[in-house]
Amino acid sequence: MDLTLLLQGILSGILASGLYALVSVGLALAIGVIGIVNFAHGEFFMVGAFLAYQLFISFGFDPVLSLFFVAPALFILGALIYRSSIQFVLKAPELNQMLLTFGIGIILQNLALVIWGGDPRSISNVPYRSIGYQVGGVSIGLVPLASFLISIFIVAGLYFVLLKTPLGRAMRAVAQNRTGASLVGLEVNRIYLLAFALSAALAGLGGVMIAVIQSPTPVVGFAFTLKAFAIVVLAGLGNIRGILGASLLVALAESLVATLVPDGDSLRNAVFFAIIFVVLIVRSRRQA
Amino acid sequence: MKKAAILLASLILSISLAQVKIGILSPLTGGAAGTGQAQKAGFELALEEINAAGGVLGEPLEILIEDTQANSDVALAAFEKLMTEDEVEFIGGGFSSGVTLGLIESFKTFQPVVSWIGGAVSGVGIDGFDGIEELVGEEPWFFHVHPWDYQNTAAANAFVASTGVGSVALLHEDSAFGGPGAATSERVIEEQGIDVVLNEAFKSTLTGGTGDFRAAISKAAASNADLLYWIGYDSDVVPMTSQIRELNFTPNYIFGTPPGWPSDYTEAPEAECVAGLIGFLPSLPTPEAKAFADAYEAMHGAAPDNYAAALAYAQLWSYADAINAAGSTDQAAVIEQLESLSFKSPMGEWSFGQSEISPHQGFGSEMWLVFQYQNGVREIVWPEDKATAPLASCN
Repeated sequence: MDLTLLLQGILSGILASGLYALVSVGLALAIGVIGIVNFAHGEFFMVGAFLAYQLFISFGFDPVLSLFFVAPALFILGALIYRSSIQFVLKAPELNQMLLTFGIGIILQNLALVIWGGDPRSISNVPYRSIGYQVGGVSIGLVPLASFLISIFIVAGLYFVLLKTPLGRAMRAVAQNRTGASLVGLEVNRIYLLAFALSAALAGLGGVMIAVIQSPTPVVGFAFTLKAFAIVVLAGLGNIRGILGASLLVALAESLVATLVPDGDSLRNAVFFAIIFVVLIVRSRRQA
Repeated sequence: MKKAAILLASLILSISLAQVKIGILSPLTGGAAGTGQAQKAGFELALEEINAAGGVLGEPLEILIEDTQANSDVALAAFEKLMTEDEVEFIGGGFSSGVTLGLIESFKTFQPVVSWIGGAVSGVGIDGFDGIEELVGEEPWFFHVHPWDYQNTAAANAFVASTGVGSVALLHEDSAFGGPGAATSERVIEEQGIDVVLNEAFKSTLTGGTGDFRAAISKAAASNADLLYWIGYDSDVVPMTSQIRELNFTPNYIFGTPPGWPSDYTEAPEAECVAGLIGFLPSLPTPEAKAFADAYEAMHGAAPDNYAAALAYAQLWSYADAINAAGSTDQAAVIEQLESLSFKSPMGEWSFGQSEISPHQGFGSEMWLVFQYQNGVREIVWPEDKATAPLASCN
């Protein structure tokens, strides 16, 4: 095995983990705070990608600049969806909640198809997309590096909010005991709304990054939703703190299999499904 | 008695003047929606022209487009609806080998006339796998418009050989589209005396991949191949070509064969010198190509980016001409007319002939063009007689 190839695989895995964490942390937030499994999470991601594309096409906005527009837009979209639908099923059976979010996902996907069509769209004139810095035979891509750093910064910021601010404490209180939080005067429904909107905004930020890396299509969120679910399961449902480590593990495992095994790239999805299986089996045995 | 005769005559008249309906199966949504929407746009243009020219059998032609979502189960339900509820006798459209394979048994049950655009996996030359041409190619009611995989690879490999390279690295997506295509390509390229130094699968963004192809590209870079030949989908174009640059992989030629290319990609910096296989370009120097491209742009407000539009356009015209020539919707008569039909389509001469197994094969390897992005323009670089510019090296 070529050592350079191995180092490149490790580096690619580490850099990919940032985006994985950003997408997953929003999903974990919705599960952890509200207790709802949001199957439309990938579609928020997709809408973020298309908004970045549209801002580029209509106003020539660089995707980095569009981060500041897409995040508030997705926050508002998430809030609207929460107000118009999610809040009504919070006490419904989990299957109903899942069906609702699945339906929201399909509506968003088809709206995207109507607005932007089914053809892959690319933000064409991104001069830095192909830049790679050669260090000791290994290439460090500017976009993966920036995406990693921005993602880590955002996830760290979210951790800070959750741990050190009154809003974060309120979110954690509501997540631990909805009734108790309500009894001490917290506006549970408002906190749920903020958590859901924030979750959508985080997915939207991930979408902006993917709009640079690949071509948005109405189904671009699907693959990332799968990864996000695997990471959330690995971290423990609703455990936001475990997301960074779980993202690193999944991304590294995928990248190493893709690099070291012949035709390994086609095994990427098998890798994270295998991780889910192992984690679920081990946890079940421990609980038993 | 007289009343009965009048009733019978009215019934016969109403049947003979009934509007001809053609059922279309196309992936209007889902991962292959780009191709499906392109087909739809081509059908709409042809329908408008056909009906403006008098329709079919004196009545306006009707098309019923059903969305397959590029999913076998959805496509099967859509096909059976067209056959049982809508009672169509002719089926058009078509995309995806996986979907086509899932439909074959039902095709054989209902046996309408099927003129099928997509589904290139023939099965010819692949042991232990029954492909579309092997399963349905000999049926008298089945017409296959798009070239088969071996015809695609023959064109692609003829281009590869024409570059004069000594070694090729093959990267292919891992489904029924890329897998068999890569296996055939490896064999044919090596028969031409060119080394295939790598044949590696990757997970396409269309089939659940995240667009991180760095592992596969790193292996190709380590192979030092003269030419990188990748088989994937439209949505793989941007990540594949940008990551090739990012990883500082500099083969002489970068050649891809996705079904289509992102419409805005021409302006992307990483597009420069990337070459690709395509069935139709508006710059094709024929009057039919120009007429189609102009009419398409007038109707849809943009140039036809995906060659599926041109194929769909010509397919509907072929049905209209054949049914009009047959003078009825009688299946045997329409099949006879389709077999002898010949006209100049946007992609070239339209006619059905013999392929490896099927007597009803439309386009062969001659349909394909190779273009290369040069200074923001897609120049045709192969074959020589259609070239608008010479092939440029990436180095």
